[in-house]
Amino acid sequence: MISELPILSLITFSPLIGIIILALLPRGSSRWLRVTAIGTAILPLLLSLWLYADYDSAKDGKPYEEQVTWVDTHFDRLSDGASNSLSFKLQYHMGIDGLSLPLLLLTTIVALMAALASVHIKKRWKSFYIWFLLLEIGMMGVFMARDVILFFVFFEMTLIPMFFLIGIWGYMGREKAANRFLIYNGIGSAIMLIAFVLLISTAGFSIESESVQFFSGSYDVIKANLMDPQAAVNAASAWNGNYGNLFMSESMHWTIFILLLIAFGIKLPIFPFHTWMLRVHTEAPPSIVMIHSGILLKMGAYGLLRFGIILFPEQAHEWATVLAVLGVINILYGAVLAFVQKEFKLVLAYSSISHMGIVLLGIASLNEIGLQGAMIQLVSHGLISALLFLIVGSLYERTGTTELGELGGLARSMPFMSGVLLTAGMASLGLPGLSGFIGEFLSLLGLFESMRILTAVAVLGVILTAVYVLRSVLAITFGPMQEKYVALRDARLIEAVPMIALVAFIVLIGIFPAVLTEPMKHGFDTLLQQLSGKVGG
Amino acid sequence: MLSSYLMVAAILFCIGLYGALVKKNAVIVLLCIELMLNAVNLNLVAFSKYGVGASLTGQMFTLFTIAIAAAEAAVGIAILIALFRARGTVNVDDYDEMRR
Amino acid sequence: MNTMFSEIAWLIPLFPFVAFLLLLASGRSGQGLGVTIGTVGSLASLVLSILVLMEHMSDGSKYYQDGFKWIDLGSFQLNIGYEVTNLSALMLVVVTAVSFLVNVYSAGYMKGDERISTFYSYIALFTFSMLGLVLADNMLTLYIFWELVGVCSFLLVGFWFTKPAARAAAKKAFIVTRIGDAGLLIAILLLFWYMPDHALDFVRIENVFEGQSGTVAAGVTTLIAILIFVGAVGKSGQFPLHVWLPDAMEGPTPISALIHAATMVAAGVYLVARTFDIFQASPAAMETVAYVGGFTALFAATIGIAQNDIKRILAYSTVSQLGYMMMALGLGSLTGGIFHLFTHAFFKALLFLGAGSIIHAVHTQNINEMGGLGSKMRITAWTFGIGALALSGIPPFSGFWSKDAILTTALHENPVLFVVGIIAAFFTSFYMARLFFLVFTGRPKGEGRIHESSLTMTIPLIILAVFAIGAGFVETPWNNTLGEWLTGAAGADHSGSGLVMVVSTAVGALGIYLGWLVFVKGTIARDAVSSRAPWLVGLLERKYYIDEIYAAVIVKPLRGLGSLLNAIDQYIIDGIIAIIGGTAVLLGRGGIRLQNGQVQTYGLITVLGLVILIIAVVGRRFWS
Repeated sequence: MISELPILSLITFSPLIGIIILALLPRGSSRWLRVTAIGTAILPLLLSLWLYADYDSAKDGKPYEEQVTWVDTHFDRLSDGASNSLSFKLQYHMGIDGLSLPLLLLTTIVALMAALASVHIKKRWKSFYIWFLLLEIGMMGVFMARDVILFFVFFEMTLIPMFFLIGIWGYMGREKAANRFLIYNGIGSAIMLIAFVLLISTAGFSIESESVQFFSGSYDVIKANLMDPQAAVNAASAWNGNYGNLFMSESMHWTIFILLLIAFGIKLPIFPFHTWMLRVHTEAPPSIVMIHSGILLKMGAYGLLRFGIILFPEQAHEWATVLAVLGVINILYGAVLAFVQKEFKLVLAYSSISHMGIVLLGIASLNEIGLQGAMIQLVSHGLISALLFLIVGSLYERTGTTELGELGGLARSMPFMSGVLLTAGMASLGLPGLSGFIGEFLSLLGLFESMRILTAVAVLGVILTAVYVLRSVLAITFGPMQEKYVALRDARLIEAVPMIALVAFIVLIGIFPAVLTEPMKHGFDTLLQQLSGKVGG
Repeated sequence: MLSSYLMVAAILFCIGLYGALVKKNAVIVLLCIELMLNAVNLNLVAFSKYGVGASLTGQMFTLFTIAIAAAEAAVGIAILIALFRARGTVNVDDYDEMRR
Repeated sequence: MNTMFSEIAWLIPLFPFVAFLLLLASGRSGQGLGVTIGTVGSLASLVLSILVLMEHMSDGSKYYQDGFKWIDLGSFQLNIGYEVTNLSALMLVVVTAVSFLVNVYSAGYMKGDERISTFYSYIALFTFSMLGLVLADNMLTLYIFWELVGVCSFLLVGFWFTKPAARAAAKKAFIVTRIGDAGLLIAILLLFWYMPDHALDFVRIENVFEGQSGTVAAGVTTLIAILIFVGAVGKSGQFPLHVWLPDAMEGPTPISALIHAATMVAAGVYLVARTFDIFQASPAAMETVAYVGGFTALFAATIGIAQNDIKRILAYSTVSQLGYMMMALGLGSLTGGIFHLFTHAFFKALLFLGAGSIIHAVHTQNINEMGGLGSKMRITAWTFGIGALALSGIPPFSGFWSKDAILTTALHENPVLFVVGIIAAFFTSFYMARLFFLVFTGRPKGEGRIHESSLTMTIPLIILAVFAIGAGFVETPWNNTLGEWLTGAAGADHSGSGLVMVVSTAVGALGIYLGWLVFVKGTIARDAVSSRAPWLVGLLERKYYIDEIYAAVIVKPLRGLGSLLNAIDQYIIDGIIAIIGGTAVLLGRGGIRLQNGQVQTYGLITVLGLVILIIAVVGRRFWS
């Protein structure tokens, strides 16, 4: 039944309903605006859970593909006869596989939690929630788009709402942070666009029939062409004699691969492109940082996997060491810096850098264990950082500060929240039984196959993580309590519900990682065939 | 024959251009623009008389141009007077409204 | 063949876990429930553990294993499973017994604490994790529970979280053991990639490494063994990672007894015992273990002499005794190590609980502020004395037999370590004598009425005292029950054990006598050493300045590096960005200068542009 519905589009565009309702509501009625937004955020979650339940990894998501030609521009070739017509096709092509399903679920979960956490927003609720829901559409679209241009469109769709969400509802330095965000990500997107245009114009070529040839951004076409470039070159040459020269030369592969690495590296962020994200972490409203740290960073890793690794396995293999070194730098650099920060949000920002390093390690391993580790780490870090910033939001609401030096002993007045904070910290430092461990362990295990020493160095990061997490979390919860915090009340219901839900998911993944690994399995099988087929054969 | 006309027109145009770009008095700038216009007129007339496909069309265009130049001068002077009343100067350097 | 109870052995850790969940769910409302739920949970585990042990002591059934697939990695998979061997059956009983007694004891000790039910939930979680660790059938499972016990230890050390000292101690406990855990983690990664079939379970590890079959290269074997040992060093407080254990005494005393004396700290020894075949395949690793253990035994014993905090003395004594166990394992005597673990668990738990009883009564931990408690707290004094004698290795108490087994092995294998062990034994009995005499004899120093603790606290003491006396008889030079049962091999060579017995007893007695001379009789002045060699006392009191060295060598540089990188991050990386941005802004400024509003300038530029264009167009004809 589910496969008869255009379920992917339904999921992606379900927040539109909310946007329409929000547009009709008066701007002052914060309560109704809030209820509408939260209600709307539940919708994609339910739909994606349904999809998850229905998903059969063996079929690799085939039943759910949706494809409509969106733009089809013909242009006749001047030099050749009229018999050849060439067209440029843009397709609305959505699909889902083992790679995108976990991240889609993550998106819908974190978005709902962030919507709940947005109770701390104090002004202009209407536009806030409209931007918020637009952002959600963009994020979900990114994970399901199967056309590079469509991917790009969705990717950009996340930037603009994010810009306003930071710039209007953030803290003191919000405008600057929003600018920084937009500039960096704009540059990243520009580089990505260049890479995509190169991809389309070289590998996006396909011959539908004798007289109809077209360029398109279709992921499948690009992948097929890159898998077997010789066949593609032959076909293209038969059609037009001297086409093969540019078509997918080695250097073109490298160019695109490195462009993609930079573009997604900015998003991930890979050292030294990370400074923008520190500002976003400190200046954006916490509920938006939940989204940002929880999902937007993952888009970088997802893009790197989807376009960098799968399309260019040879390049990835050759640069595996580079990726791993970058990962180790991220881990240690983030951890050491997190250790000296005096502001909790900055600690978390650097910790995100450190954890994204683990994702890079998993990717660099290029084997099933490591890639699964990277994926689980993505989901896990998404949940954990969402949880941490949820707490930050509630904490700031009560104490008015996130400076570590000014907090302390909050476990006495807020035992529940402190417990959750401690749990989140433990998950973040990779305690077994919580999700962080699985991702970390599998990434390291995978990488260890090929790069022993680097892995051993990365394990140092495990120690450092414990150091900075405990330092900051204990500074907040343990120790003598200051007078002014005695009367603070513990989490309200609307705060406690998302906290418990996130903790539950973290524990669930930590104890039964199969909930994630099972749907991922088949997606990875094909991925690995590609990796080994290209390099081995 | 044609080249002498064209030469005169070119000299006239260059004088006009020089004046329009360099002179500080707005009235003189206007006058210089008239000079440039008339250099064009001269060209037109010369071509219509000695050009490859000589015809009267060129001369007719010249008449149009003269009429338009007159109108333009009138409008220009009017704006200038208005400006002078407002700013009390005809120095072009002081007219930097476009900067704002 | 009867494996009935072993088959349901997975229930053993489950009881405390259910207790934990119940306590977690009840939150603060379950004030009084905590004690009941926690105690019942641990009692259930204890009963089942005893049944499992009895099953294993009978002939026939020896081994049961079960598990499930945890993560499917395509061509390989990671499993979670449990197995019951003789060793784990023994450990089960030790853990559950001590845990149960501590549960009972805490009802009295923690009475009136508003977070008592939280306390019980932590203990339940710890018991669950520790039992899981004991039952684990593969390295990964073991590692998972290994980390969990670490967290529980952390939570319980920091139980009184408002105290800055407790916060620091909890943090230190977690981080220092984490350093060891990192070693263990790498060892697991190595094992995974070097073992045939990527197996991590102990049975196959044993098969592969038994008798140095050469499946795994010798260098790798040594590396794996040493890394595993690093993990054990962290958990068992061996030098140089011992620093957390004495600080961990900031936690409630029952916790010190349960976690930091009897069970968790012994996990390192247990780990080495579980992977003993890897160690035996590598002589270098064995030597490392033996020397680190021996050194720690002596090193910690010397520090113990100069401490004034009753719990710290016991903590250093724990470190020292764990050193003995490691030394035994390193010398190849699995039996000796485990035997000492077994007896130590009881008498050290007894000593800690006794110390708890004392602290509960006098509200101080400084032994110089105590005195004359013997007459007022008779049960505590007697049981504490039994524990102290057991620790000092005086026959016929349990510690004597196990220490004797270790020293006998040492005499055979490595005379140097034998001497080290003897000296450490002397120091041990001396500091225990000092502790005992200062606390229980002499005149009372504190004011206020001091009376014996309640029954819930004294009964566990008595039970433990019985064990402290009797537990040693399972393995004596004449009777190798434990050794044969554990290793399946005939008993070790006991020749020369008579000599060892005499020497160790003499040394122990000498230590006590010296302590008596100094602290009771006063024949030798107390400041005999401190007046002559103040530096020596200072050195011992400051624990050889290890903490200070770590602070100077590791913590400070790390912080410095952090600050340096922070500066780099802010000024250089952000600076480069700022320069790039600034360049763009400057270019824009230049553009603004051209935009001066002067029509004439615009015109000039237009003309210039036109001229350049014409030159370009015309010039091209000439050049090309």
